[in-house]
Amino acid sequence: MATDTQTIRLTTSDNVEMTVERAVAERSILIKNLLEDLGGEQTESIPVPNVAEPVMKKVIEWCEHHKKDPPTTQDDDSDSRKKSTDIDEWDQKFMQVDQEMLFEIILAANYLDIKALLDVGCKTVANMIKGKSPDEIRKTFNIQNDFTPEEEDQIRRENEWAEDR
Amino acid sequence: MGTPFNKIDEGFSEDTRSQSGSDLITRTESGMVESSESEPGPIPLPSWILNLSEAERSEFTYAILRSLRTSSIAAIVERLNPLLHLDPVNRLPSEIIFAIFSFLPAETLLLTSSMSKAWRLRALDSQLWKQAFHSEGWVADMTQIRAFEASERSRVLELRERRRRVRRADLDGDRPSPKKRVVQESGLFGDGSQDGRNVQNTDGPAESWVEQHGVVEADDSIPVIEDAMQDVDFHDSRLSPEATTTSRDMRGNNIMHPVPIYHYDSTIQSPPISADPILPPVTPTLLQSGSGNEPRVNWQYLYKQKRRLEDNWNSGRYVNFQLPHPNHMEEAHGECVYTIQFSGNYLVSGSRDKTVRIWNLETQRLMVPPLTGHKASVLCLQFDERPEQDIVISGGSDNNVILWQFSTGKLIRTLTNAHTESVLNLRFDDRHLITCSKDKTIKVWNRNAILPTDEAYPKTTTTPGTSFPPYIVNMFHELESQHLHFKPLKEYSLMMTLNGHSAAVNAIQILDGQIVSASGDRTVKVWDVRTGICLKTFVGHIKGIACVQFDGRRIVSGSSDNTVRIFDRVTGAEVACLQGHASLVRTVQARFGDHPGNEDELEAEARAVDQKYFEAMNKGTISTELTREHRRARNAGSKDPKDIFAYGAKLPPGGGGSRWARIVSGSYDETVIIWKKDSKGKWVPQHELKQSDAVRAASGTRGRSPAQGANTQPGNGAPTPMASFQQLAAQAQAQAQHAQALVAQAHALHAQQMQAQLAQLAQNSSQTANAVLLAQMQNQNNQGQPAQNGDAQPTTNPAIVPLVQPQTHHHPPHHHHHHHGLAMAIQQQQQQHRVFKLQFDSRRIICCSQDPTIVGWDFANNDRDIVGASRFFGEST
Repeated sequence: MATDTQTIRLTTSDNVEMTVERAVAERSILIKNLLEDLGGEQTESIPVPNVAEPVMKKVIEWCEHHKKDPPTTQDDDSDSRKKSTDIDEWDQKFMQVDQEMLFEIILAANYLDIKALLDVGCKTVANMIKGKSPDEIRKTFNIQNDFTPEEEDQIRRENEWAEDR
Repeated sequence: MGTPFNKIDEGFSEDTRSQSGSDLITRTESGMVESSESEPGPIPLPSWILNLSEAERSEFTYAILRSLRTSSIAAIVERLNPLLHLDPVNRLPSEIIFAIFSFLPAETLLLTSSMSKAWRLRALDSQLWKQAFHSEGWVADMTQIRAFEASERSRVLELRERRRRVRRADLDGDRPSPKKRVVQESGLFGDGSQDGRNVQNTDGPAESWVEQHGVVEADDSIPVIEDAMQDVDFHDSRLSPEATTTSRDMRGNNIMHPVPIYHYDSTIQSPPISADPILPPVTPTLLQSGSGNEPRVNWQYLYKQKRRLEDNWNSGRYVNFQLPHPNHMEEAHGECVYTIQFSGNYLVSGSRDKTVRIWNLETQRLMVPPLTGHKASVLCLQFDERPEQDIVISGGSDNNVILWQFSTGKLIRTLTNAHTESVLNLRFDDRHLITCSKDKTIKVWNRNAILPTDEAYPKTTTTPGTSFPPYIVNMFHELESQHLHFKPLKEYSLMMTLNGHSAAVNAIQILDGQIVSASGDRTVKVWDVRTGICLKTFVGHIKGIACVQFDGRRIVSGSSDNTVRIFDRVTGAEVACLQGHASLVRTVQARFGDHPGNEDELEAEARAVDQKYFEAMNKGTISTELTREHRRARNAGSKDPKDIFAYGAKLPPGGGGSRWARIVSGSYDETVIIWKKDSKGKWVPQHELKQSDAVRAASGTRGRSPAQGANTQPGNGAPTPMASFQQLAAQAQAQAQHAQALVAQAHALHAQQMQAQLAQLAQNSSQTANAVLLAQMQNQNNQGQPAQNGDAQPTTNPAIVPLVQPQTHHHPPHHHHHHHGLAMAIQQQQQQHRVFKLQFDSRRIICCSQDPTIVGWDFANNDRDIVGASRFFGEST
């Protein structure tokens, strides 16, 4: 039954079964490798024990949109390259979710090995940090400041070298 | 794949310890986490509520909320707000935090390190800083770094071994727990002393902690954390109450110990390892703290010192130094120094005194006695100190090229009459030696014996404008005639002569098989070293060109038109013109600090500028006709459409590069200018250094405060101790002091005359007058005065010398050292410091001039940390 829109089924951590176009699911290198290893027609549902349904839905939405993207090459993230945090418009909108969902998407992308999605997620968090004052960053992420005032003062003074003079 | 409830099993052990209460609501259902029972906040819910579905509970909650007064709702919203904001460092595994942080610029990264202890641990990851370092376009000397790490490793192992032996002798097998030792001794030696450190390196659990949980690999598997907690229990009790009560973050509590961490120790060789195995010390040290017996360079430290060094450059903080050492003035050159090159700890200089000298930069002493062999001024040289090369090659006014052994100073070989006139510049790589001369030619020599079949051998013998000696065979023809028996070409044979320039060739460079030459004929040319074909000619300078640098993309040249220009190698477009010198630019070096692999970036930037330019033109906001004024003003790198000169280049205006890009140029106006790009990308003089100031400062008290030695000119009246060669000048200066007004007048006059001269020159537009430039001194010398009358010779109007037709002054060589007249003194003061050659690296500028002493500006500014870190800073283009 090989059609050009072959589908596979996934079972999420909360035991929901989802039917996904194979090409879309294969944005996930984990799933892609799994399918290749299994070979032939995949009739059984593939368990995705680390991702719950609401998150999986988002991930699949992203994969749908990006299914025509060229596959990411491994060597385009060389250490020393200047890293841009530019995100295209669709992805920006896509990432406008609550923080819990954002982190879940990042974790899912990491687990499913979808590098481009992981990058977008990480850039989104990075952009939430950039350009903010320390207090704003703490507020954004509800960070508990566990430094004593003396420690804080010492760190602040130590960090003065990075200030533009 | 584990149970569905065990959601994260890859080093994500922190979610149970996330900040207060954030788990309660959302986590129970998703099953990610066991609920945080110890949260004292909300009242326990009856089980029937907990058994409702999420949707049902939502509705129920909403109904309850709606029953409340607005102010109550607002209060609840206020309380709930933090729950919507989750701390990623607690939520996400360390490798993802690493990925997130690697998108942050260094300043932000540093800021995040002050958020909390957990953030600090992640943000100070040395690898993040390594990325940050490289993404600035900075280059590190990895060979040095690896060698240093290896030597530290063996040092640590040796110490460990010694300690183990001692312990065995001491303790009859009844060893106390190493953990306890750590506790005790880190309290005692927490200042980072040797003992504290080595105790940490004892074997046993404490050591394994250190090894596995250094800054980089800070994993946090539970068992080890418990282990560590025992270790540091003692310190925990001393933490402020705030720190112990703010959260249940177990790790947080033993992350940082206020007492032992906050020390400052800049010792390079033995940086302290913090008593705390987890958090790095407040002030970064060269070695990563807690890296145990795998010593690793701490990139945050390197980044920080590099930034501080750059700050010194930008603020003009430096100390001057000189060669020779002020206590050993007898080692100085006897006359002006025309050329220098330095690399690592060595500097080689060539002088009008006919000698080449090899210096140790650290001791400021000669390594070997002066190298004698040239019969006239040494004008150019290059050396390669690596043992497999071990060579100095020099060229001079005697038309000869001499090969010396670097390590011994021994003369290896003389290429007699390599040219028919002075050898003005030479460069070599592994295969080729290229020389250029006042005789208008460039010559290519082979450095090793080769066969015509070798890569380095000329590919053809029929290039127009290039001549090949008869013994060079044309491989193409030979192959056709099946003639395949060849004699090898002996090393340092002439392989071809490039005849394309119409005036003296003042400077050359070779890179990637391309020779770049700069000539008095106002052009720069690029040649293929294997065919002798001239690939491109760059025009733009309006007078002869004295110096050139090529980095593969850009050609930077300095000219008698007083400008430095930057050309795009590919298109030949002039992408910048730097105006600031008042006389011939004799030497220039540029470092654009490209980010690795930024060709596309540069091109995109260039295209964007072009686009704006065309848009502006279409809109009619700029005119297509360049005004005379505009034409004269050129463009120093502005991207403003109305400043644009050339389009279609592969480089943006200014030539591109990082924000750390820097050009240093030296001129006959006796200054060195450090150029930086301003906020608009335009090259502007950032500092103007006076050669004479440096000579004075360097010969004076060493290590003086930069406030004295730096930008402030120490005035002629300042009694500076002078050492031998300076004494003559000092005498003259002393005599000149009472005539300050006169000097000022002379300067004014000098300027007027220059203007007059320029005007005249423009009228005459005599090519040769412009072209002779550097060859000038040879013109003088050729008339039977072998190389003794350089342009150091006082003339009635020194500023005009390089601009007019050949001079016919022939002062005897000993002349200027023995003049004591006032006029002489003024002249000496005026023209003792023409800059002939400079070079800079990440830390210093070194420069030679008409003065026999070689001077340097060291921007490490005697800062121990910067000095120590500088040896790891590599060179980049």
